[in-house]
Amino acid sequence: MMLPNLNLDVSFTDEGFYNVAYHRDQPDWLKELRQRAYVAYEELPMPNRSMEEWRRTELRQFRLLQFRAWSPHPEQSPQIPSQLASRLATSGSIVTLNGRKLNSQMDPALVQQGALIDCLEHSILNGWESLIRNHLFSVLDWKYDKFAAMHAAFWTGGVFVYVPKGVRLEKPLLHVAALTSGQSDLGHTLIVLDEDSEATVVTETVSVDPAATGLYCGGIEIILRPGAKLRYVNLQNWNQATYHFAHQKAIVGERASLEWTLGALGGRLAKVNQHLVLDGPESEGIVNGVMFAEGRQHLAYHTLQHHRTARTKSDLLYKGALQDHSHLVWRGMIRVEPGAIRADGYQRNDNLMLSQTARTDCIPGLEILADDVRCTHGATAGRVDEEEIFYCQTRGLTRREATRLVVTGFFQQVLDRITVDSVRDALTDIIQHRVREYQG
Amino acid sequence: MGELIRVCSVSDLPDPGKSVFDVNGRMIAVFHVSGTFWAIDDMCTHDGGPLAEGELRGYTIICPRHGAQFDIRTGQAKTMPAVRATPAHKVVVKGDDVFVEVNEDV
Repeated sequence: MMLPNLNLDVSFTDEGFYNVAYHRDQPDWLKELRQRAYVAYEELPMPNRSMEEWRRTELRQFRLLQFRAWSPHPEQSPQIPSQLASRLATSGSIVTLNGRKLNSQMDPALVQQGALIDCLEHSILNGWESLIRNHLFSVLDWKYDKFAAMHAAFWTGGVFVYVPKGVRLEKPLLHVAALTSGQSDLGHTLIVLDEDSEATVVTETVSVDPAATGLYCGGIEIILRPGAKLRYVNLQNWNQATYHFAHQKAIVGERASLEWTLGALGGRLAKVNQHLVLDGPESEGIVNGVMFAEGRQHLAYHTLQHHRTARTKSDLLYKGALQDHSHLVWRGMIRVEPGAIRADGYQRNDNLMLSQTARTDCIPGLEILADDVRCTHGATAGRVDEEEIFYCQTRGLTRREATRLVVTGFFQQVLDRITVDSVRDALTDIIQHRVREYQG
Repeated sequence: MGELIRVCSVSDLPDPGKSVFDVNGRMIAVFHVSGTFWAIDDMCTHDGGPLAEGELRGYTIICPRHGAQFDIRTGQAKTMPAVRATPAHKVVVKGDDVFVEVNEDV
């Protein structure tokens, strides 16, 4: 879907909107949705520190107009430094560059059964319009803030995953999202699992250039129909010059279950809203977060476990380690709606400080509007015990090896909850590679 | 010695006066008091508040969020709720130009 003229304005402006997003091959309903989102994008203020959700996140250095909403794919596909592609045996995969499809493949036997992983935009035009229309932006609130509206107005490409009723995928589906220097990824991921189906979907984000800046402003929608079971992994591993703004929301139907693992490793500045909605009786959501920040990275994760009906269960564990001058923010909320009795919600965030100059803000919260529920939460922040380091050194380890051992041990609790072996191994390797000496 | 980055002209900042600049990816608050320029991180060490949006009293800046006070000459925290200094940076004035040398170690 090439633009006719590469000299057109493709920035996040009025002109850019019409050139990039509005005048495309797309059905009228989508055009109208984009138009409404663009109006909201123009009206909503750029988030600033007077807004509660942004008071700990510094956006003054962010220059939106330095990025482009669209760029042509390079003639030669770049080398994509994926951590997972070589470790995972998949039943299907897609690689996107700056939000748009580079290539995809799917096991023909599963295609026969009606399963799919492909470009979202392409799927709309090739037989999936009705299903996608029913679900696209039905879960995500594109009016939530300026970035959500910008995403809904400007997204191109994207990824669509569909698993039909009763189909179970033995091997994972993989999406590798790559970003090239100075470009933006506004890709939208829509995952729909029909009744009693089962799948594992893994998304990994990587920067082609280790140091060049980039912008991700994406959305992920997950819809689990009754009885569906999804393991979803989102490994955010951009370079440390990339801005990452993400809205991610899953709606879990009756008896359905979601195991949602999130790796927060890259980005100069990351601001993520992760929203889990337990929408049917006996639905369940397990959320695992592995965060590691260094240098001057700022990673802000806002989670919501939303119990909307009776007899639902959520269990969230985020663990973070910080070194150098980095800053982690985690703000979690469990909300239980009136009538959602027998809800069982748990949230916990632990942070390990590896330097004196790192900073963490962890803010758990409960909003309970029903009786007869069980909701608990907790948050900790602490430093490494010097005696543990000293003990390891007396056993012949260097100070760095000792720190690495302690940090790995700290993360083990959350790593043990991740049931996709290759993801667990990749996360362990990345963390071990990044840990330096403890500066107590 | 770090790189000197020009942030403004002497005449851009009244005396007393304050302003914030993006210097090498860090937000730095620059103050002009009694003929001298000073620079510290525009960040309260208590709650991350934007210091330069607060009130300047002599050599003291008061965080607009919770009232923590910092010495603009050293970055030292003077009152609760802040207990740790905010990083201070060297300022050099050459002619009419004000330069900041960002201390990357803090």
